[in-house]
Amino acid sequence: MPFIQVYGIYVILHGHLSPGGSFSGGAIFGASLVLVALSFNLEAGSRQIPHHTASVLESGGALGYVLTGLVGVFAGSYFLANQLAGFPMGQPGQLFSAGAILVITVFVGIKVASTIVTMFFYIIEGEK
Amino acid sequence: MLYILLAVFVVILTFVLRFIIGVEPRTLVTLYLLAGIIFLFSFTVAEMPTFGSPENPTFNEVPQRYLEQGVEETGAVNIVSSVIIDYRAFDTLGEATVLFVAIAAVAATLRSH
Repeated sequence: MPFIQVYGIYVILHGHLSPGGSFSGGAIFGASLVLVALSFNLEAGSRQIPHHTASVLESGGALGYVLTGLVGVFAGSYFLANQLAGFPMGQPGQLFSAGAILVITVFVGIKVASTIVTMFFYIIEGEK
Repeated sequence: MLYILLAVFVVILTFVLRFIIGVEPRTLVTLYLLAGIIFLFSFTVAEMPTFGSPENPTFNEVPQRYLEQGVEETGAVNIVSSVIIDYRAFDTLGEATVLFVAIAAVAATLRSH
């Protein structure tokens, strides 16, 4: 479980350096939380991440994406601008580089992970 | 000449299917519709550019720019990432919206249980 989560975080954070990215990393992270519910039981899975937290994280991911895009507008450039909006670019190949790409990748990763978890729990509990 | 031969073939095929094999008229119409669609799609596929050919219309100046200037414009070493989150970020926002709508629909239908 922790190893899967570490790998998911790695895939999300290295989205601009190596194959993978926000969607695949978020899916890995979400699958780790789903696996807890599958291998133990539903209560243990729900204890890992409460439903309310998952919903907040999910909407927060989408909001963060849009706000990161709006930074570009307020910086005098276009929507979702990266370099022109003045994000620090860093050295290409370093972990903290690529400006807005890393921020957006983290937000989309959070959103995908919580979407998978929330949808899994909704559908499973709908059976009761 | 070819079209006349084709028409004669279709007429003979219809008679054979209808009166010798005994296919229902509804089934026959469905069969001909499907055959027409398959015919259309086959010709569309035949008209498509060859896979991997350097003369393909996709190999224009756009991917060339992504490959040559993507690293310095976006700072991302992964070209795929630089395309989906920088150049085509608005499209990715739409994808995230699809996810959001999906989870909203699931919540709306299942939460009332």
